[in-house]
Amino acid sequence: MGRRYGLRGDWVLRDVDLELGPGSLIRFQGANGTGKSTLLKVLAGTDAPTEGRVEGRPGRVAYVPERFPGGLPLTALGYLVHLGRIHGLGRARAREEALARLERFGAAGHARTPVAELSKGAAQKVAVAQALMAEPELLVLDEAWTGLDEAARDELDRAVAERVAAGATVAYVDHDPRRLAGAVDVAYEVAGLGLRAVNSPAQEGESGPRVRILAVGPQGAALPAGLPGAPDADGAVVLTVPAARSDAALRALLGAQPPWHVREVAPVTAPAEPARAAERNQA
Amino acid sequence: MTALVRYQIALLARSQRWLAPVVLYAAFVAVGVQGGQPVLDSLGYGAAALLPVAAWLTRLCVTGEPPAARHVTAAATSPARAHLAALLTAFGCAAALGVAATAFVVLVSKWADTEGQVRINPLGAAGAGLLAVLTCALLGTAVGALGSRPVLHGTGWSIALTATGALLALVTAGSPARLTVNALVGGSHAGAVPLPLVPFAVAVLLAGAVGAAVCGLSSRRG
Repeated sequence: MGRRYGLRGDWVLRDVDLELGPGSLIRFQGANGTGKSTLLKVLAGTDAPTEGRVEGRPGRVAYVPERFPGGLPLTALGYLVHLGRIHGLGRARAREEALARLERFGAAGHARTPVAELSKGAAQKVAVAQALMAEPELLVLDEAWTGLDEAARDELDRAVAERVAAGATVAYVDHDPRRLAGAVDVAYEVAGLGLRAVNSPAQEGESGPRVRILAVGPQGAALPAGLPGAPDADGAVVLTVPAARSDAALRALLGAQPPWHVREVAPVTAPAEPARAAERNQA
Repeated sequence: MTALVRYQIALLARSQRWLAPVVLYAAFVAVGVQGGQPVLDSLGYGAAALLPVAAWLTRLCVTGEPPAARHVTAAATSPARAHLAALLTAFGCAAALGVAATAFVVLVSKWADTEGQVRINPLGAAGAGLLAVLTCALLGTAVGALGSRPVLHGTGWSIALTATGALLALVTAGSPARLTVNALVGGSHAGAVPLPLVPFAVAVLLAGAVGAAVCGLSSRRG
């Protein structure tokens, strides 16, 4: 696809061909003004490509802009309940989810504050809360971490890992190259008018720190969505996941209905070998 | 769509930017419509005044959401649906204003023709008045939609063209708004309640076409 603004404007992006799979974390990087934000907007569907098209976008999509404006004449909670309902939640559920997300990001005290009076960081938390409320299948984050405090940034990292573990596609841009570095599945450099795949730290990190999880599930149960591998006859499975994803994997296992029993969690010392061994075991 | 419209109504209501057009319209109707005047004349006057108010309300609804928040809403639904919700909200508010004005006018006016000779059925007059305010609200919404984003982005040009557009929609020969208002005033002279269905139908088509065009444009021009 390609995108330009105005009938005779310069192309911002041209001949971009990209496929994003479920359960994956995709990073876009590049210098300022290369079209990263435009690309994210096209992915999120708030901007239409000038040529070409975007296909197969899932039903629940959420977008977090870099800077969330204070110009809204609603309280934080009021805004979130409206957005929850727009995302398709019922009224009571939207309220519940809104309060839970504000709490999670340490902004519960701001629920009754008009968005216009919030600090930049607190307003950003509202934007993040909005996106996570609907448990989106496609989550697009445009420097969403900017302005958040340390605790909220970490919480957002965890929330992203959870979404990916639950099978969602998460695409993001962040100025910090270490952001979620261990968990990225694919990274692209936006340069010129197009995309170039780059070796993400995670791909290098295939040999980086990994964690081995031994879990036993209920008889006949399949693994929670987004986790690799399949249980053997006894319902046991060995997962070897990047260290950055281990918390999310554990949460998915323990949070499944009915929950899995985690028997062993251990760092993988000699990275590549046990991983292959585990795969052999499963085979 | 219901959730989007509810959100747009909340944005408009809480922003208090609706106060100016609503107060202005109320003042216009209260001052312009004196008790005891012929009902159809006053209805025409009230409907005509609603057109620029509807355009103004549309501009408020379409520009009320800060851009970043708009992108958030558009991602959750689609830019076209989000834009349509803003237009529907504006039209709904203008129509509600028009209905209230029609009720007020019918209650305080004299149920007779211009000469005061022929009795005018108040229910028939109210029906014609409702048709007229809906026609004007539709056209005003269309003018407001064409005069703001995504069609026009700069504030200065935008307001000047919206105001000019609203005026033209009222005075141009063949405009459904003018036809409706003329029908009411003519009916008042003739002593018969008109039924301006054709201008209303044309207004529905026009507003529908404009709505489809600007909503389709909203994902391309922001």
